[in-house]
Amino acid sequence: MANIADSIYNMRLLDDLARQETLIHKLHPLVKLLTTVSYLTVVVSFGRYEVAGLLPLFFYPVMVLALAELPLKPILLRILLVSPFIIGIGILNPVFDQQTFELAGKEFSRGWVTFLSILLKSGLTVTAALLLIATTGMDRLAGALRILKVPRIFVLQLLLTYRYISVLMEEVARTLRAYSLRAPKQKGVHRSAWGSLAGQLLLRTFDRAQRIYEAMCLRGFAGEYHSGEINKISGWDWAYLGGWVAFFVLARMYNIPLLIGSLLTGVIR
Amino acid sequence: MSHHKLEAKNLHFNYPDGHNAVKGMSFSIHHGESVGIIGANGAGKSTLLMLLMGVLFPNQGEVCVGDVQVTKKTLPMIRQRLGMVFQDPDDQLFMNTVYDDVAFGPRNYKLNEKEVEKRVLNALEVVGILHLKDRAPFKLSGGEKRAAAIASVLSMQPDILVMDEPTAALDPKSRRRVMELLRSFKHTKIVTSHDLDMIYEMCDRTIVIKNGEIAADGVTSEILVNAELMDACGLEVPLALQNCPVCGSKK
Repeated sequence: MANIADSIYNMRLLDDLARQETLIHKLHPLVKLLTTVSYLTVVVSFGRYEVAGLLPLFFYPVMVLALAELPLKPILLRILLVSPFIIGIGILNPVFDQQTFELAGKEFSRGWVTFLSILLKSGLTVTAALLLIATTGMDRLAGALRILKVPRIFVLQLLLTYRYISVLMEEVARTLRAYSLRAPKQKGVHRSAWGSLAGQLLLRTFDRAQRIYEAMCLRGFAGEYHSGEINKISGWDWAYLGGWVAFFVLARMYNIPLLIGSLLTGVIR
Repeated sequence: MSHHKLEAKNLHFNYPDGHNAVKGMSFSIHHGESVGIIGANGAGKSTLLMLLMGVLFPNQGEVCVGDVQVTKKTLPMIRQRLGMVFQDPDDQLFMNTVYDDVAFGPRNYKLNEKEVEKRVLNALEVVGILHLKDRAPFKLSGGEKRAAAIASVLSMQPDILVMDEPTAALDPKSRRRVMELLRSFKHTKIVTSHDLDMIYEMCDRTIVIKNGEIAADGVTSEILVNAELMDACGLEVPLALQNCPVCGSKK
């Protein structure tokens, strides 16, 4: 049961991180959103066999991580959380891909290359999304989406879903605690109680969500979520966006590792 | 100051399952009054508060704040005047920081950010938790959460403060602090509670509810000492007014 209670605290970690005041945190949320979107576009635009081309793109998350003074471990843990899905998607590629290539005198299926490329791409994209939330926060991100004229209803849905996850998890934690205290010899929940437990949980969460909604309405909530004022985009913000986009474009157009390699070998010769 | 007046006229309310929770309640609360609403579990206190706040609408009768009837149309204006502190502060606090939570109401009324900040800091200072403004609400203690919930309503500067069990689940010191806090407000106050000692100390007037009807309405010091009435309504005389638990002598 401690796991669930822990994860409630862990879940809010990204919000806590987002409240720091570093160079990256102070950037305009819209700029960070656009940078992330262009980064994601470039990462997924690489072909399935192009692994080397992806390597320079590691530079972006590493820089953001360092400049925003974020702890590495919790971010890595969250990437690991999605890794089973990614491995599940890519693991059969080496079996199905009939083409082979030679490395160190041995023959390998080219499926391993596509598998590696899926791993890298998903790792990079998930990291970029996590970094965006950990340096911006959900509320300000929603503000950025509103500036982009994303319909109010979608933004609200995103925000409230994010909020209500913790409501649901708190209810789960409470229900499971109550269950385990009266079923000391059981591991987990017995299947005879699954139905009623899930049903109860759903109803209780509805109730709780309803009360929270009422509390919001009583304080003048009328469909628009105001997360405070967002400053205007400054010259420095534009420079940040421009710099990164230029780098992404370069990394997409030229194979930077190859260029550096040939440059180095040219110098050595 | 007629706009601080709150009037309930012959309220009736049935829940969709047919349960008749409120049966013909009428009363009028004037500016600056502090009124306790008491009754046994299931007597209809919470339903009554929901009707007053416009969360539920009566099947018959009407609620008026000032001279304005509470209807769907007038709700935004009504809710700016009436602030409600929920029984469970967790229902009320859902933003990332205490500051954002207290700012939620003022921001919804589209005040500029400077005014919002002024109100938030002021409200937090009044309830004495200014130092917690950047903390996450779910990490606060029970008493701190309650204070934050009260601040989140005060920042809207309501004319009438409605509180559902403000002292429930608080330790004695926190309870005392919340009571002192509430006493210092010059607003019209409406408090429901089972903490009859608190009602005795804080409210000049008490409305006793029994089975969805008003069983008594009058001066607190007369109603709460009426052992017969209290007993008939599933309540008892406040502990402070009962005999000494050690020697049994009358206080």
